[in-house]
Amino acid sequence: MMSMQMNEAEGSVKVAEWQQTYYAHDSGIQSGATTVRDDEGTEYSAKKYAVTTTMVENPTEVEAQYTLTRAQRVRAAMFPETLVEGEAVLSTQTDPGQQTNVQRLAEPSQLLKTAIVHLINYQDDAELATRAVPELTKLLADDDAVVVNKAAMIVNQLTRKEASRRVLMQSPQMVAAVVRAMQNTGDMETARCAASILHSLSHQREGLLAIFKSGGIPALVRMLSSPMESVLFYAITTLHNLLLHQEGAKMAVRLADGLQRMVPLLKKSNPKFLAITTDCLQLLSYGNQESKLIILANGGPEGLVFIMRNYNYEKLLWTTSRVLKVLSVCPSNKPAIVEAGGMQALGQHLTGSSQRLTQNCLWTLRNLSDAATKQEGLDGLLQVLVGQLGSDDVNMLTCATGILSNLTCNNSRNKALVTQCGGVEALIHAVLRAGEKEDVAEPAVCALRHLTSRHQDAELAQNAVRLHYGIPAIVKLLGQPHYWPVVKATVGLIRNLALCPVNQAPLRDAGAIPRLVNLLLKAHQDTQRHASSSQQTYQDGVRMEEIVEGCTGALHILARDPVNRGEIASMQTIPLFVQLLYSYVENVKRVSAGVLCELALDKQSAEMIDAEGASAPLMELLHSNNEGIATYAAAVLFRISEDKSSDYRKRVSVELTHSLFKHDPAAWEMAHNAVPMQAAYLADELDGGYPPYSYSDLGMGGMPLEAEMHEQYMPEMVYDPRQAYPEPL
Amino acid sequence: MNREEAPGKSPEEMYVQQKVRVLLMLKKMGSNLTPSEEAFLRNYAGVVNAQMSQLPQHNIDQGAEDVVMAFSRQETEDRRQ
Repeated sequence: MMSMQMNEAEGSVKVAEWQQTYYAHDSGIQSGATTVRDDEGTEYSAKKYAVTTTMVENPTEVEAQYTLTRAQRVRAAMFPETLVEGEAVLSTQTDPGQQTNVQRLAEPSQLLKTAIVHLINYQDDAELATRAVPELTKLLADDDAVVVNKAAMIVNQLTRKEASRRVLMQSPQMVAAVVRAMQNTGDMETARCAASILHSLSHQREGLLAIFKSGGIPALVRMLSSPMESVLFYAITTLHNLLLHQEGAKMAVRLADGLQRMVPLLKKSNPKFLAITTDCLQLLSYGNQESKLIILANGGPEGLVFIMRNYNYEKLLWTTSRVLKVLSVCPSNKPAIVEAGGMQALGQHLTGSSQRLTQNCLWTLRNLSDAATKQEGLDGLLQVLVGQLGSDDVNMLTCATGILSNLTCNNSRNKALVTQCGGVEALIHAVLRAGEKEDVAEPAVCALRHLTSRHQDAELAQNAVRLHYGIPAIVKLLGQPHYWPVVKATVGLIRNLALCPVNQAPLRDAGAIPRLVNLLLKAHQDTQRHASSSQQTYQDGVRMEEIVEGCTGALHILARDPVNRGEIASMQTIPLFVQLLYSYVENVKRVSAGVLCELALDKQSAEMIDAEGASAPLMELLHSNNEGIATYAAAVLFRISEDKSSDYRKRVSVELTHSLFKHDPAAWEMAHNAVPMQAAYLADELDGGYPPYSYSDLGMGGMPLEAEMHEQYMPEMVYDPRQAYPEPL
Repeated sequence: MNREEAPGKSPEEMYVQQKVRVLLMLKKMGSNLTPSEEAFLRNYAGVVNAQMSQLPQHNIDQGAEDVVMAFSRQETEDRRQ
């Protein structure tokens, strides 16, 4: 068997030349065929056919024949019209019993050629099509790489015409042969051709199905590792078409480890290629948690953020932002995207002309925002978001308020920045425009609540709310119908606003106090109703205990103002506050002790507090581990015991000192044994070495000790805490 | 509030110390004091000075902490938009 090596490039050039002579109308320049016009006026080309002859003598002439390449001989056999007239190509056959490859090729090649010509020119001839396709299918599976290559090229050409393409895709064997050829070949050009064939076929449903059924997907996924850019392009585009239109393709791509091959492609630099790749990632990961984790594991977040930062092609930015949006709801991807600089990168695209890009970036930022509270370098983003608060687009408002609310959460730098760039005014306008839209109102109010406490410019923000006429609008949010998350946020904001003394009167004028008291009563009744069951009730996701705490906390700060204090007391709130001292919620205990502490500044209220039996729970609260609670409780007790009998003052002092000695069990024991004093304590049991203890100044409000002592001193009631010292421990 | 710090202090001294602390804490937390309470502090200025350094440095009563809103839990991915 003769197998002369062909120069590949030469071969493909020759194919091209053959094609040129074929698809271009044969003018006879190369073939030497003449155009003949018959009587009917139709033109046809005179054809010549090669006849191979067998050389039996004269071996030297055979040698001369060897100098012709095999390509030339194949050409001569297949396209004799390309020979110069009169020229004959002598075959290299030496053994009459054995045909050369060329001879072997001649007959089927002739048939093939004819079939192809007719296919091309006579589109409806199914019979011819049926003949050509099986032949080509066989050739694609040939052991000879050259043959496979040529066959692939021919098939590729066939896909350029609709009729022939249709025939190809209707043959599952043909498509399978192409897939196999692509997979098995070591030849780049063959691979490229095969990929191109599949790409052409992927524009029709039938083609997609044929590719899918013949295992095209794993083969195409493997092509994603090709060093040839064109192969990559054909492969990704074909896969994209499959993912878009072929049922089952997504699962197949995932199973073939498609994601692991696609994510590294994000490093490529062709924007159009990247757009298709990112769209594939979106199709694969939408609603599929496992895919999102695979993307994460392969460095997806970094690759995607890099694209957002470095490219301008709108379509690419849009497709990439969509992948990031899909990943942004995944709890594992979120921190990775933030760490890779995702917030900053997405923030670059909020002011461009592409509405769809801006909106996608905003939704993604909103999803990511709760993971980004500690991120640095967000100044630019924050400023842009404040600007977007002026929008009328409800989606934009929802996102801007939501992102700002989260980014100002426990971040004093962000709070200060937003306050300084007019965030308070902008948020108030957003609240006004939000109306009943809770998705805007809730985060806007939360953001204002963040801005009005725990940072250097909190006071600035508190004043700004008033200066921009925010107080009436905010108080109105407490009205019906109650959407509890908004109510809860508003109550917290009002508490912060009341920290600024100048806001106290405007809050009162806007009717904050009756609204808060009514809400408190309503919420408290609700908690009482469910007190028997251990179940906590939620309304709109908010517990009524939270409303009780919030309202009482706001009233506590409002009560710093004397006029407000009076109004609060006049609404019969004291009994309720005293009852709240018994709450199992520590925060509720704190705020109710706090409001009572303020109310007790007024004598009348102090008496009412006492009349409600507040002393007992307050005594208990003296022992609280929470220093705030203990302080308020002590202060209320001081204030309500001012006009009390000395008994009372003694007891208070005992309890107070109990709380002092709570870390000293011995002293506690001693102090504890001294109660009740009247019964247990007699003057003659006094230890003479110690001066009597005078509590003349107890609750008397700081009159000089010496002056008070003689007036108040009652020797028979002397209390000496050291009287019953146990053995030292 | 630790007896070990001041061994041998009389109960009344302890009491004054504690009342001063309570009043200073109230002021620190932003609450008002009565005129007599303010006078008490003036009276025991020495104790006040001693107590000031012993007050906790952190803020005691700042109201509810900021809390993030978890939007991504609610977010549903839109189809091909």
